[in-house]
Amino acid sequence: MGAIVDLVLGVVTSIGGFVEVGSISTAAQAGSEFGYQLIWAIAIATAMLALLTEMSGRLAAVSRRTVAAAVRERFGIHFQLVPLTAELVIDTLLITAEIGGAAIAIKLLTNVGFEWWLAPLALLTWLLLWLSGFAVIEYGLGLLGLVTLAFVISAWQLHPDVSDIGRSFLPTTPHHHYTRYAFLAVSIVGATISPYLLNFFSSGAIEEKLTESELWVNTTTAYMGMCFGGVVSMGVLVTSAMVLQPRHILVDSYEQAALMFVPVFGHYAIPLFAAALGIGCFGAAVELTVNIGYTFSQVFNWTWGANKPRRDCARFVTAFTFVLLMALGVALMGFDPLRLTMLSVALTVVIMPIVVLPFLVLMNDKKYVKDHTSGVIANGVLAALTIVGGILAVVVVPLEMFGG
Amino acid sequence: MGPVIAPDERMGEPWCAIIAALLCVLTTACNRLDHELQQHREKFESLAASAEFIGDAWLSGSTSGTYTATALSQTFLLVEKERARLASTPDALIDRRGAELSDSAEALARTIASLLDDVRGVDAPAVRQRLAAVPFAPPKRYGRNR
Repeated sequence: MGAIVDLVLGVVTSIGGFVEVGSISTAAQAGSEFGYQLIWAIAIATAMLALLTEMSGRLAAVSRRTVAAAVRERFGIHFQLVPLTAELVIDTLLITAEIGGAAIAIKLLTNVGFEWWLAPLALLTWLLLWLSGFAVIEYGLGLLGLVTLAFVISAWQLHPDVSDIGRSFLPTTPHHHYTRYAFLAVSIVGATISPYLLNFFSSGAIEEKLTESELWVNTTTAYMGMCFGGVVSMGVLVTSAMVLQPRHILVDSYEQAALMFVPVFGHYAIPLFAAALGIGCFGAAVELTVNIGYTFSQVFNWTWGANKPRRDCARFVTAFTFVLLMALGVALMGFDPLRLTMLSVALTVVIMPIVVLPFLVLMNDKKYVKDHTSGVIANGVLAALTIVGGILAVVVVPLEMFGG
Repeated sequence: MGPVIAPDERMGEPWCAIIAALLCVLTTACNRLDHELQQHREKFESLAASAEFIGDAWLSGSTSGTYTATALSQTFLLVEKERARLASTPDALIDRRGAELSDSAEALARTIASLLDDVRGVDAPAVRQRLAAVPFAPPKRYGRNR
């Protein structure tokens, strides 16, 4: 019975926690510029994420180690410093973008500049991490995040052509703006598969004491939760394609993106969009911040745990506090939240090979996963997509950012 | 001994190559300018359409004055940023199409500023009037109830 409750809660919160600033921005831009044409990118990214989260849960359940701890043990600290530094940079940018997204959500409702909300939101993030345990972080925010289902309802209410959507699951060449198309495809992948999720899920499995006999719960949660989550992301893209594209509105700000709800939700459109954006971003900011604490503690062998008294894991608290302050510092220097988000998610794909490939090696090492090694297809598909995505990102990110 | 080439033919080859290269450079430069102007135009059209949608939503009672003011302010800022980007390319401003684009963009910025003022003053007839003449916007109207 307990396993069933865990399963339902896991699936529901995965759906609620799926959409955040990156997925909303990338899917809204993709829909407004290319219609349904980039749905395939969401589908591929979701499938990759489902495979990776299932693997990270499996690694934790079988080896009793998180991804960061296992990589450090298998490859040594000198190797680990590379992905650790890359993750630190990207996660700091992502925390800034997520706090910025939540601040914009409040701005939509109050007309008070988003800069004023950055410090209070960072403080709220820290207080939540200081005062609550893993259940509140994972399940509480995940359940609140179910408000993002509004994107699916809105897409449904707009009666899209199902055969058009179906055809978009196969990649096609755009008629215009090739670089932009490739950049958005890369960004969608980066927004969906944040490397922090690998360690966050494995740390969550340790926090929740997932055992080898409960691997089926892990597998079902990963596949069902992520696939339904992907549907929410597709809801953003379809709504944007049906509302903004016919009006020739390109999404350059969250204020424009919020308009996508107006035809379906009328008077509730903006509050609903603000709630979806705000909760999604705040939830992701909290997860990213605690994950930094997890990662540093696991790499340097410090005591860690969101359920432990804070005095027993002072270095864990110091690590996430320090990174949260760094993110706030970046935010207060002044930034364009949408541009920073797009840059961070695209750069995520650049660093993905150095995070994913060592992880795949671990998932084929019987010392860690015993007989639960990954299959040839999963290994091949993930390795190939990660490398292709990384190469594509190295080419299109500079072209998009600096013109070309 | 190789084939004998007439002196004028020998001279012709490098000149042809230079002219072809120059033509290539000029064509690329023109294409680049065309591409840049097209990108600016698309951006202004998108911002004009956004201003129109925001105004329409306010008139139909779908959005609050607070959101409308926020969204119009942001749209105004984006128009100004795009105008600055256009102005930072001297070639674009010298070009007739670029100069026209710049004039229309200035008119768009003024219209959005006026819309913002009208929304703050809750002046629906004035907003309706301004929305009828938003530069760059396609000539179509949606239902308005306010």
